[in-house]
Amino acid sequence: MTHSPLSLRADAEGEAARLPALLARAEHLAGAVLPGAHGRRRAGSGDDFWQYRPAQIGDSRRMVDHRRSARGDQEFVREREWQIAQSVMLWVDQGASMRFASDKGLPDKADRARLLGLALAILLLRGGERVGLTGTALPPRRGNPQILRLAEMLCREDTREYAPPEHRGMIPHARAIFISDFMGDLAPVQTALTKAADRGVRGVLYHLLDPAEEAFPFTGRTIFESVGGTLRHETLKANDLRDRYLDRLAARKDELQQLCARTGWRYGLHHTDASAQSALLWLYGALDARQGSTA
Amino acid sequence: MSVFGGIGFTAPWLLLALLALPILWLILRAVPPAPIRRRFPGVALLLGLTDDESTTDRTPWWLLLLRMLAVAAIIVGLAGPVLNPQAEPEQGNGPLLMVLDSSWAGASGWDRQLAAVEAQLTRAGRAERTVGILTLTDPQVPTFQSADAWRSRLAGLTPAPWQPSPAEIARAAEIMADLPTFDTMWFSDGLDYAGRNDLLETLQAKGAVEVHQSASNVIGIAPAVYQDGAIDLTLRRATPGPERKAVVQAQGRDPAGNARVLATATATFEAGATEATTSLSLPAELRARLTSFDIAGQRSAGARTLVDDGLRRREVALIGGRGAQEGLQLLSPLHYIEQALAPNADLIDGTLTDVLPANPDVIVLADVATLAPAEAEPLQEWIGAGGMLIRFAGPRIAASDVSRMDEDPLMPVRLRAGGRSVGGAMSWGEPKALAPFRNGSPFFGLPVPDDVTVSAQVVAQPDPTLADRVIASLSDGTPLVTRKAVGQGQIVLFHVTATAEWSTLPLSGLFVQMMERLAVSSGASTPEADSLDGTTWTPLRVMDGYGTLADAGNLPGVAGPDLISAPAGPALPTGIYGSEDRRLARNVLTQETALTPASWPADVPLRGLALPAEQPLAGALLSLAIILLVADVLASLALSGLLLRRSSGTLALLIVIGLAPQGAKAQDSDRESFAVRAASEVTLAHVLTGNREVDEIARAGLTGLSDTLYFRTSVEPALPTGVDLEQDELAFFPILYWPITPDQPQPSTEAYGKLNDYLRSGGLILFDTRDADIASYGASSPNGRKLQELAAPLDIPPLEPLPGDHVLTRTFYLLQDYPGRYSSRDVWVEAAPPDAEKIEGMPFRNLNDGVTPVVIGGNDWAAAWAVRRDGGPLLPIGRGFAGERQRELAYRFGVNLVMHVLTGNYKSDQVHVPALLDRLGQ
Repeated sequence: MTHSPLSLRADAEGEAARLPALLARAEHLAGAVLPGAHGRRRAGSGDDFWQYRPAQIGDSRRMVDHRRSARGDQEFVREREWQIAQSVMLWVDQGASMRFASDKGLPDKADRARLLGLALAILLLRGGERVGLTGTALPPRRGNPQILRLAEMLCREDTREYAPPEHRGMIPHARAIFISDFMGDLAPVQTALTKAADRGVRGVLYHLLDPAEEAFPFTGRTIFESVGGTLRHETLKANDLRDRYLDRLAARKDELQQLCARTGWRYGLHHTDASAQSALLWLYGALDARQGSTA
Repeated sequence: MSVFGGIGFTAPWLLLALLALPILWLILRAVPPAPIRRRFPGVALLLGLTDDESTTDRTPWWLLLLRMLAVAAIIVGLAGPVLNPQAEPEQGNGPLLMVLDSSWAGASGWDRQLAAVEAQLTRAGRAERTVGILTLTDPQVPTFQSADAWRSRLAGLTPAPWQPSPAEIARAAEIMADLPTFDTMWFSDGLDYAGRNDLLETLQAKGAVEVHQSASNVIGIAPAVYQDGAIDLTLRRATPGPERKAVVQAQGRDPAGNARVLATATATFEAGATEATTSLSLPAELRARLTSFDIAGQRSAGARTLVDDGLRRREVALIGGRGAQEGLQLLSPLHYIEQALAPNADLIDGTLTDVLPANPDVIVLADVATLAPAEAEPLQEWIGAGGMLIRFAGPRIAASDVSRMDEDPLMPVRLRAGGRSVGGAMSWGEPKALAPFRNGSPFFGLPVPDDVTVSAQVVAQPDPTLADRVIASLSDGTPLVTRKAVGQGQIVLFHVTATAEWSTLPLSGLFVQMMERLAVSSGASTPEADSLDGTTWTPLRVMDGYGTLADAGNLPGVAGPDLISAPAGPALPTGIYGSEDRRLARNVLTQETALTPASWPADVPLRGLALPAEQPLAGALLSLAIILLVADVLASLALSGLLLRRSSGTLALLIVIGLAPQGAKAQDSDRESFAVRAASEVTLAHVLTGNREVDEIARAGLTGLSDTLYFRTSVEPALPTGVDLEQDELAFFPILYWPITPDQPQPSTEAYGKLNDYLRSGGLILFDTRDADIASYGASSPNGRKLQELAAPLDIPPLEPLPGDHVLTRTFYLLQDYPGRYSSRDVWVEAAPPDAEKIEGMPFRNLNDGVTPVVIGGNDWAAAWAVRRDGGPLLPIGRGFAGERQRELAYRFGVNLVMHVLTGNYKSDQVHVPALLDRLGQ
């Protein structure tokens, strides 16, 4: 596609404008959740004070806390609480099927998924975790710059109709979050999940649906087209298809849940007409839950 | 045309198409609605699902019905239905002649009559008959042509202020005789006239005759009669009917000279009576200002009677010589003249100095020889201002030296000493008789009785001017009555006494007639025809069939007897006629005229004018079809779910627009915001004419001028605005541009009040006839005439063509041309004061201390100023560079004009600057 310099610039600016908006919204959303304590309850590397202990042989001079030691003759070393950071890996579906909203008032699914993913990332990063994307594009890191990188990566769109989950580069024993509408083939999902389970990765499968996809409010002679335009299905009486469609959808949800149960993941369902806040809370809670607890 | 149950169809065969509707129903029912494309990510889940049944979703029956109705409406509409098609029992195929009485009697209902004629023309046009129209008051050979051609010319028919005269009937019959056979439709005004039955027979010989006649009664008013101190008015109607009141308005001029109703009286027709009388008692002063009486609510020449000298009684001051002895009444020098004048004039007695301030019309001096200078001077002034002095000779004059050597200013001729006497005891010869009056004398045509003899007289001295001044002479050629004009008045000298002493003239009827001819006394309300023998009367104001007066222009004069006795016609229009100082009105009705209703034989079908109008329904039905189709579109959209999803906003908007109430409150606030807008900045305004194109150009023109002002001067006007004279306040606008269109409505009285206020308080109206034709000042173009009509009630000062040194030529630019789209140089502004003079050393006069309230031209300035939205010129002006130059000059004229309005005489004052500097230097 050839761009004239003007339109290229305009498109670029439009794209750039989305980042801060997404960031701001994500920050706003994340600000509503207070991260809980995440300490290991023993001395180790960390930021928080744990205890003063008398200096021992072997402690380098540099470790002596002079403020405390100056009160007496003994020298003290300041120990910090041992904090470990968890690696969390995100996969947000960028496929064409996500760019759909049944109503002008509703956000499209990709938008909601991106928002939730980034807000969760912000929360986690504030909590000191390392957050990255599955795959090799953006491995988990900590710190605020990672938010910007994540935002940038999340804004890239995939041209494929239904994007399969990215399961490469899973860090063992990390946490993972998959956000998608799972409308495409379920086999890659299954592969991804089993592979993750093999490496001890647990996480959340977040199923994001538009209300119209749940209700199927269509009647009359209709040609249904996928968002990318590759798939189409024509029917003379759309209302007749409703029940069978809903059956298929329920079967799919069921399958996903079973998959989660087998692999120790948690399954969550969200509709774009529900509030993003509650979704974020649920996600955060699901992620924060002790290992082993299931949905 | 075929008629089914009150509705006729012009193309009934088209209705067969209705048979196709059921087939259409089946076809439409089978066609499935078009598929809707939807984006749906869940399509992956749908793949492989098949429809249960292969039958389609059917179009709902009510939608089908809607479509059927729309198609049916189209078919029926195209078939040309007509409601109330007029039954045409004997609609022939041959030519049709429409005969119109076209007299004053139909003037009040002329519009209705024309509407009826038009309805009949429509009918005839549908039957493809050729039509001719013949107006009986002005018969012309009718041309038979298509009804449509006539329809466009109907508006040109106007009623005449007379009834068809026998001569006109004869002419009409002559015309008919040459025509082939035809059917006749006679539009009668409802009044009978001589020869009508003959004409009817002539017409019946040619073909079927049908008479259309309005049911309304014809009312007329007979000339007013002054009797016993009151004005008697007689109203007549054609057919006796129920009791009816009619208001008579006495029209006249107020002291300022404006036309107004001076008094009203109510006359009541008793039930069954055809005549009603009323009387008005008016003071002499008011009576003298009357111009006519008319019946309120009627608009015909018959309902108006013009007032002439019959109601005017002249004031005559009689002054006799000194020493009239008591008891010798028959010898009093004034006795005979008093007797002659008393019935028809108001006599004033008194001394000359007492009488003059009362400003009588006539002063009679009977044998008064010399006047004191204190009397003579005011008397001369009075004559110069239009007074008439009548002097009689007598022994005193004969004995005096008055006008002996030099002509006395109060005498028409020089006189010989002593006078002469013939046929007396001491002289030879017979008393002299009068010679017949010469043509040119005011007495011309009066019969000279044999028994009038003159035995003594004063004799005029032969002079070069004598022959012109003699208006009556004796049989031997000696002048008997001489006259000379002085200023606007005249002096008449009878060379005999006012008594029977010197002649028998004062004893004869001729004396009274002479007094009448001299307008000393006005005669009976209607003079006898033969008393006007030899006089010629020029029409001054003529009255048309509606009773509207207009200037007579150059119409030829009419012989006196004809004026009384001949029937009115093209050669003798009704109106006011004048001869010397006398005024005579020729009215439609005379005292004797009776209004007889026209009666038609039983075999002539008689119809009223008010037929139920035919109403073509095709338009309504086709509109209905369109509405149904739009409803179908909406319903289809609604069915497919597109309506509410995509266009609900639009739909809601449409509904809101449709239902938006136009409350009075909104108007009030509109008016307020209009005022705020107009008053907050300088705003140029144009008068809305109702013609969209003209209004649009005026707006664009003022926009262009505003832009020019904005760029070039310190005047920064807001967007121009159009003003409705009836509703909008004018005070906010410094200048009003008023383009003239021939068809714009006449503003109401209130609007004229506003306009006059506007002009008096410093506003300026730029009248633009837009035809470059003001050169001939008006009347030659429709726009010019309209301008005259529009501007007549306005308070406009005397005008003159824009002089070269007018302040308007140098308020901003130095200009000598004022072109618009045309470049006529005739632009009229308020005339400079007569005493304007060039000041020493100044190139121009100091004119117009103030702003001219009007500028009148025809250069179509707005068209030259007009700009499009993008600022380019809207209309082409001239050619090439010269045209652009003309446009530039037009802008400069506009700038000068606005500057003139805004700065007044400021630039004019600049001419004093050198003088002021000079003075400061000292």
